[in-house]
Amino acid sequence: MSEPPKAGARPVAYPDAVEPLRERTREALADGELAGNLATAAATWGAGRARIGHEHPFAQMRERTREIRRGNIGRLPELLERLEAQVTEAGGVVARVADSDAACRYVTDLAAARGASLVAKSKSMATEEIKLNEAVEEAGLRVVETDLGEWILQLAGQHPSHIIAPAVHLNKSQVRDLFMAESGDDLPGDREALVAHARRRLREVFASADIGISGVNLAVADTGTLCVVENEGNGRLVTALPRVHVAVMGMERVVADWEEAAHVLQILPMAAIGDDAATYVNLITGPRAPGEADGPEELHLVILDGGRAALRGTEFEEALDCIRCGACLYACPMWRSVGGQAYGSPYSGPIGAVLTPLLEGMRGERSSELPFLSSLCGACHEACPAGIPLHDLLVRLRARVSTPGTRRDRILFRLWSRAWRHPVLYGATRWGARLGLRLVGRGGWARRLPGPGAAWTDQRDLPTRWPPR
Amino acid sequence: MIAALARRRATGEVRAGAEVAAAAAAAADDWGVSRALLAGDPLLGELGVPAALGADGRELLGWPDGRGRGWRELLGLEGPLATLGVTVPALGVAQRGTLVLETGAGHGRSIDVVSMYHLAVLPASRLRATLAEAMTETYAPGRRRPSAVSLVSGPSRTSDIEKISTLGAHGALAMHVILVADR
Amino acid sequence: MRVLLMRTCLADMVAPSVARAARTALERAGVEVVVPRGQTCCGQPGWSSGHPDQARPVARRALRAFRGGDPVVVPSGSCAAMVRHGYPELFAGRPEEAEAREMAERTVELSQYLARDGLRPRPAGSGSVTYHDSCHMLRILGERESPRSVIAGVDGMELREMQQTEVCCGFGGTFSVSFPEVSGRLGDEKARNAAAAGADELVACDLSCLLHIAGRARRTGIPLRVRHLAEVLAE
Repeated sequence: MSEPPKAGARPVAYPDAVEPLRERTREALADGELAGNLATAAATWGAGRARIGHEHPFAQMRERTREIRRGNIGRLPELLERLEAQVTEAGGVVARVADSDAACRYVTDLAAARGASLVAKSKSMATEEIKLNEAVEEAGLRVVETDLGEWILQLAGQHPSHIIAPAVHLNKSQVRDLFMAESGDDLPGDREALVAHARRRLREVFASADIGISGVNLAVADTGTLCVVENEGNGRLVTALPRVHVAVMGMERVVADWEEAAHVLQILPMAAIGDDAATYVNLITGPRAPGEADGPEELHLVILDGGRAALRGTEFEEALDCIRCGACLYACPMWRSVGGQAYGSPYSGPIGAVLTPLLEGMRGERSSELPFLSSLCGACHEACPAGIPLHDLLVRLRARVSTPGTRRDRILFRLWSRAWRHPVLYGATRWGARLGLRLVGRGGWARRLPGPGAAWTDQRDLPTRWPPR
Repeated sequence: MIAALARRRATGEVRAGAEVAAAAAAAADDWGVSRALLAGDPLLGELGVPAALGADGRELLGWPDGRGRGWRELLGLEGPLATLGVTVPALGVAQRGTLVLETGAGHGRSIDVVSMYHLAVLPASRLRATLAEAMTETYAPGRRRPSAVSLVSGPSRTSDIEKISTLGAHGALAMHVILVADR
Repeated sequence: MRVLLMRTCLADMVAPSVARAARTALERAGVEVVVPRGQTCCGQPGWSSGHPDQARPVARRALRAFRGGDPVVVPSGSCAAMVRHGYPELFAGRPEEAEAREMAERTVELSQYLARDGLRPRPAGSGSVTYHDSCHMLRILGERESPRSVIAGVDGMELREMQQTEVCCGFGGTFSVSFPEVSGRLGDEKARNAAAAGADELVACDLSCLLHIAGRARRTGIPLRVRHLAEVLAE
């Protein structure tokens, strides 16, 4: 088996996620409003997904997507070379950076060189991963998130709870309170008014930002085109109005040609939002060309490694196939119970439980708990448009990470293994178990078990007779 | 295409060339716009669209000279709020209700997002069946490669508040397509 | 027809009637059942928890106990899934790989085995059941139909489907004790859905799910009778 991958420089997990994961899940479960908000979100997604399943041959499309992405990752160095050449030919600047520190430094150096003071951002998981906003603010600039959900979170000082719909854990009266605090205006409570208010406030930012920073959903190597997919239109404005456009992408987000891109662009909104199409797909090839009267003068493409290259050729390679649709989050009963913030990472849900420890080289102790927040039900794999076997990746990760829990369990499982490989010792534990159940049972049930059994009876009774009465 | 547009919460109609200008003026009236930003595509002039839009006292900005007004005005932060962006898509995708807008000397990349309303005038001969077809054609080798191609599939929307879709987030609040019957 | 019966460690420890019922059901359907004496556990607890090196010796014992080429029938979707899908990976690149793949190929969950050949251990019955699709059955083995057709094979027994039958009950192996609160919450939803179906009892092909759901139902005061599908068929 291969070496565990090396990490990017800054941890992927949020630094304020210090409590043990179990504690964070307990806090999340105690939040009644959260449960309701998550349930609504997941149900809406589910209904959309069901509709898509009836109207399109989703299963076949999924197979094709897997084929495409496996091919992309297999040829990654070659595709990235072509992408770089094409972007450069179109007048863009490409910076391949090893880790989050290098990525942030590139952006802050550029901002300083251009004398920038205001940055407009559209949604980008990669920039969350590298903690770009903090770095830019430390360098003395103002950063404003322009995606509505991200702006709401910025105002609330919170982390996103979902890859696609980051503020899904908040309801509209919570949003209204945030908007009123930011602007000092009194606002009606209906959604349309709140959206119109955000539109007005954020237009000020579009009009005066010096730098626009976006993510990249997909890069097409053949033509050096960056695809930015969105529904609101802030991605259009962020990549059209400011003089400088910086696009940050994970190195694995590249496809070879337009046939592949068209396919992935079709399945992405289906999986992400249960719809045939996102409102806007912005296809950007270089900065403003001669003769064009609008568009940025400069385009910088920052291609981030951050621990990804090390996954190629390992048993975890398929995690790179991810197109960041967020479907696995909505499908996951764990995520639906506790929400994304409990994961303590910009990437939550099943893909987050896989990527966060991997990108950190399995060195982050908090992140190493994440693969255990799963009942291995496989709903993630079922929902994934790229067919990534997330449930298998989680099991493999469990064998690789080290936490106080896994170290303690190793001793227990060693005993278990020693005993249960021998029929005689196995028979002895069987005898012991039956005796034990008779001793602790009252009326056919045990309410409290000692030792490791206590975690069971913390939440459930144990039937001591079967079938239970 | 019309059916697909309806699914995308946009509207569309098919018109013969001679009727397009009146249809454009009607849409502008319905939306109550007082200023229109027009793509500098000769097709609009040929169809008489600028004249029809300007006839009701509407202020017209052309492209690229309208750009000189500056972003604050074009965004509606100054001057009238109810503005119309008129585009001429390079292609349309019938299956999906998608417009393919290309930036160029005569067409700004942001005409439809800075404005509050979006009116597209699309010759029916430019419709393609699938996205794959449209993309292969757009990026065919040897063809001029625009720095920005925008696939627009309806008015701007967001579901960030309680997962319920609301229109008019940052881009256009409503979109209407006039398909010019030219086949 | 002759099969080797895997009892499962869970049945051995807390519910031996399940293994007995599986045997009875098969014999009533005209199948000769051999219960290998030297069997212990399929090894899944170690494998799923990230201790493959500890799971391997236990699984090796299973390879030895179930030698011989006859189908291995097991009243557990999760054990069947372990053997069919886990063993090839567990033994990949090792001397036992071929043997593991061979055993994986002939291992089958109980209701799959019965449905495949249209066997009806209990041609007639009464009352109603609701059925929980355990995750290993549904997603790893891809089995939604076999348990349902086996239930349908009991004339006079009604199947009342619950809401969200395909959502995980929250057991998840060691997950049930590493994150007991999340596990409990999911168990609540499942128990409520099962009770709301209005059937006489809840059945499933996995004892692990049933222990968890029944235990949670009892703790939270939801009246719910549960049995393993094998026990219903052996009645």
